[in-house]
Amino acid sequence: MTSEPHAFLTIDHGAATASIALIGRVAGTWRLIGSLAFPAGAKIDVAVDLLVGRVRRADPELASSLGIADIDGDALPRFEVHSTRPRRLAVVAGAERTLARLVATAGRSGWRTTGASAETTDPLAMSRLLLDHDVDAILVGAGDPPRADERSAIRELAALVAAVAVRRPDVPIILSGSMAETIDDFGDLSSRPGSIVLAPAASVDGSSWRPRRSLTTAASTAEGPDSADGRPDPLGDLLLESALPADDPRRAIGPATQALADVLHRRVETIVLGHDAGVRAAAEPAVGGMAREVRLAVVPAAAVAPDEPDDAIVDGVLLWSTVPSDRHRIRDRMRELRIAPWSDAAGDGAALRMAAARAALVRLAAATTDFDQAPPDLVVCAGGVWSAVPAPTVALAHVDVLRRSGASQYALDHARLLGTLGAIPDEKERLAVMSDLVDDLLAPLGSVVIPSGLRSGRSAGSVLVHVGDGVSELDLVPGGLELVDLPPGQTAVAEFRFRDRIKLGARGRHFAVDVAGGLGGLLVDLRDVPLRLPDRADRRRDLLAAWQAALWQGSDL
Amino acid sequence: MNGTNGVNPATGQPPGTQDGLSGDLGLVNARRLIGGPAEVTFSMAPGDRALVAAGETVVAGAPIVERIRDAELSDQIVPASADPKPGGRVHEGELLFEWRERWRVAGGEVTESLDSPVTGIVRDVRPGSAIVIQASGRTLHGIVVLGGPTRGRLHVAAGSDGELRSGGLDVGLAGTILVVGSRIDAETLTRARAMGVRGIVVGGLASKERRDFTASERRQRAALHRLAPYAVLVLEGATRRPLPSPVMDVLHALEGREVAVVGDPPMLVFDADVDVPEPRSDWVRVRGGPLGGREGTWAGIAGPRRFAGGVHLESGSVRFEDGTITTVPLGDLERFV
Repeated sequence: MTSEPHAFLTIDHGAATASIALIGRVAGTWRLIGSLAFPAGAKIDVAVDLLVGRVRRADPELASSLGIADIDGDALPRFEVHSTRPRRLAVVAGAERTLARLVATAGRSGWRTTGASAETTDPLAMSRLLLDHDVDAILVGAGDPPRADERSAIRELAALVAAVAVRRPDVPIILSGSMAETIDDFGDLSSRPGSIVLAPAASVDGSSWRPRRSLTTAASTAEGPDSADGRPDPLGDLLLESALPADDPRRAIGPATQALADVLHRRVETIVLGHDAGVRAAAEPAVGGMAREVRLAVVPAAAVAPDEPDDAIVDGVLLWSTVPSDRHRIRDRMRELRIAPWSDAAGDGAALRMAAARAALVRLAAATTDFDQAPPDLVVCAGGVWSAVPAPTVALAHVDVLRRSGASQYALDHARLLGTLGAIPDEKERLAVMSDLVDDLLAPLGSVVIPSGLRSGRSAGSVLVHVGDGVSELDLVPGGLELVDLPPGQTAVAEFRFRDRIKLGARGRHFAVDVAGGLGGLLVDLRDVPLRLPDRADRRRDLLAAWQAALWQGSDL
Repeated sequence: MNGTNGVNPATGQPPGTQDGLSGDLGLVNARRLIGGPAEVTFSMAPGDRALVAAGETVVAGAPIVERIRDAELSDQIVPASADPKPGGRVHEGELLFEWRERWRVAGGEVTESLDSPVTGIVRDVRPGSAIVIQASGRTLHGIVVLGGPTRGRLHVAAGSDGELRSGGLDVGLAGTILVVGSRIDAETLTRARAMGVRGIVVGGLASKERRDFTASERRQRAALHRLAPYAVLVLEGATRRPLPSPVMDVLHALEGREVAVVGDPPMLVFDADVDVPEPRSDWVRVRGGPLGGREGTWAGIAGPRRFAGGVHLESGSVRFEDGTITTVPLGDLERFV
């Protein structure tokens, strides 16, 4: 027995879920010993005692070697991160097109936005918007150089915002693009408690921020005419830094994803569906010691349970619902989900969560089209919403929405460690801890292969799955899902032989793909890209339920 | 407590106590029943005139804001000798900003006053934004307030699981704030306002009723005559469920007393001298799921269990009033502190 504990706790205080993990030093490396997820209103100390008590009971010898056999839970060192509710940003611009760009940029940078342009809003309404006591910061912008349709409005807009700056001296103000030239209108900046920041113009195309309401889902936009090009977005970076503190677990997903990519030497994408916001991060491993830039988007509009479920949100949830319902009922249940996210999680409450999560993922994908250019090697799924549903269904929920032709592995951040480990300020230390924990923190969900360009109505070919010395063969029927039982830890080679040339990363007939097992095994997704769902609600529900039932025992309630 | 020899099989620990509670009861979401003095925010729009200043004491019923009904924008020349600045006032209204040697001014002819529903101290006055008052007394928090703010005598018109219909209203209830049980429809809400009722306290308000009532409220506000204050305080959520018994106990204790309903944050404010009953420390309520609305005493943590739909959730045991002990997902439970 040791006198000092060789263990520590990580605690992620989310908006809806508090997650606790016990990390211990075993045989010279950090290992995940156990974890718990609870409603955010629970007492953390009690949950810690429960977790430590379970470890003691499950393996007294391990507990003794970690030095936690007879100590109080509060004696363990803790590393804690807290999610805060996204703050509100009032966005104003001289023209509607500029406003759309600014709102799109701010909306994926951790801010809840309210916007108006001088083109459509009179100065009184705009003053009302900016003086609203719920506004935490103001973004005022114009193109650089200013567009013809906004040139005349910029000076008056600057005068209006400068007057608001006098009346709300504590509110930070960001001047974007050519609005920076009006900084003299704001007088003596040193005496003002709230900062005034100069920022570049928005580079995100505002047209990408349109809630999708059609019955098809997001497909790879690499070939689309309006695909975003993933250019650096300095205004977005600035807004993200001002929206969330450095130790916010959502902002920390960026460094965590980069560390994962470096440790695994693979292209990694992390998708977090949270109560207050959706998060998407993509990173590539460093090459030759040169670090790559991680892309990060925090989208409050992609919250699983938005503040006010409007018609678009309700329709989005209805689209994915596997239980019969109507708009009023769904709206009521979405409100309940917002108020008490852990309540009513069993039965059709679980089905509601799956539908709400898919709808949130659609909104997240719509705000981050630049992430969809090619499937990453590994997709890490995270978020409290997955705490209450069977893990094998998580990958399916993602590929229902993100229709990217290719092959990827899927894993679940089951202990919600990524947000905590990503907040470790020292990069080397973060990398070292991540390197130790990488096998524990990711629960393998399996591999997903999505070919596109299949002709419907007949067999598309076959797949031979080589596992060790054994081979199993499956016929590939377009429009369906084929499941191959491949347990966690098992690897295999999937050899595809298609009748026609199809797209699977590249175009061809024969492909050999390395796949890894998981809780859901190997999933060959032969459905349309993008996914087309029946217009009739009853047929759509039946189809979604049938796809889900293959991975969710007992989902028929 | 579950288990034998005083040891909880889920935790492997003896049932320790914290805050006088069974230790693992802390895993149940705590809901604060009664809050202390709270800051209440009353929003203002450009053109509105504050009638109080920071640091002043206000009593319930005192006017605090003169609101413009339909604010309009005008351009005015304001002499420099008047020391104009944003947020200042001239005869025509509130100064917004200077533009081309004239001032943009928000003003209007028709005004109505907002009376403070609470007694307290004015903490902050931000013209065009808000007035913040530190309300004296104690508070019972809700989920949302529609309309308001308002003040009146509390009257319990229906039990915790009851529902008030429009036929149950009469003019004798004018000036009261009615506790109407688990739900109410939009027709009854509208009729109550017409009868002179000052407010409604209800457990759940469905989205459809909320939409219909809000539309009715908007139409009423569009009329030129001033409306009496009226507010709907929703305590629980959007679906029908009985009001918790600890909440009903508080409301019964407040029967016949003057209370206020305010919207930011949404809550009921009442005098501090009211003797309100404290809930039992081990009392828990099932908030959602098939047992939603039932109440009982905590019987210990039960560990992860499989529930309907094939989901595995942490759970606890609850001893209901009929003596049965049932395992319920922890997320469905709440306790009152």
